[in-house]
Amino acid sequence: MTTSYTRYERARIVGARSLQISMGAPLLVKTDRIDPLEIALEEYEKGVIPITVKRK
Amino acid sequence: MYYKMRLIDKVRVPPNRLGEDLTSVVLDELQMQLEGSIDKEIGIFIAVTEIKDIGEGDIIPSDGAVYFHVEFDAVVLRLAMQEIIEGEVVETTSFGAFISLGPIDAMLHVSQISDDFINYDEKNGRLVCQETRRQISVGDSIRARVVSLSLSERDPRESKIGLTMRQAGLGTGQWLEEDMEAEKADGAA
Repeated sequence: MTTSYTRYERARIVGARSLQISMGAPLLVKTDRIDPLEIALEEYEKGVIPITVKRK
Repeated sequence: MYYKMRLIDKVRVPPNRLGEDLTSVVLDELQMQLEGSIDKEIGIFIAVTEIKDIGEGDIIPSDGAVYFHVEFDAVVLRLAMQEIIEGEVVETTSFGAFISLGPIDAMLHVSQISDDFINYDEKNGRLVCQETRRQISVGDSIRARVVSLSLSERDPRESKIGLTMRQAGLGTGQWLEEDMEAEKADGAA
């Protein structure tokens, strides 16, 4: 699942998710990291980000 | 007239509220965004009552918020030209009276109150007809017709609604009663 995204899609998903986290969205993983981008990457690795890509 | 409408709109749900129950967050956001606002085609939003359906959410670039397509019910007040409305006088001035229609106030200009000449009784805050001695003061109920409509979407308070009472069947509650009595007496005689 995680590997099925292209690097561009990955960038978009992680970017959007880290922005959400930095704006106060609830976390989906337990972590002691502080940087929103790192948290987003961790969530992405675990495949728990509730974002999908619509391909046209 | 008041309408209950089924509408579809996009609602921005900020990231810090994503963990909460979606329906109640969407309802909250819609109420904050719409209630009290004006749309020229739809009318004046009074209340968002119920969320009917929440569709897919979109994430747009440079905003962490999610935009949901939402179907919801709302109560709106849509005034039409020539519509007969009832309201209450909330303020009298030398140039006319302000009538509260509930969610918004309308203006009844002195020239539109009666065919009579109108005097403003400043001490008592009343508008008095010179010939018939009929008067209007704060608290009176009013039946009038909408004759001008200028709604401002940007600033709802800047909206202007003009009324007239210079037609048969229009006036304050008391005038209408008097007219009715007069007509009854006429019929009896």
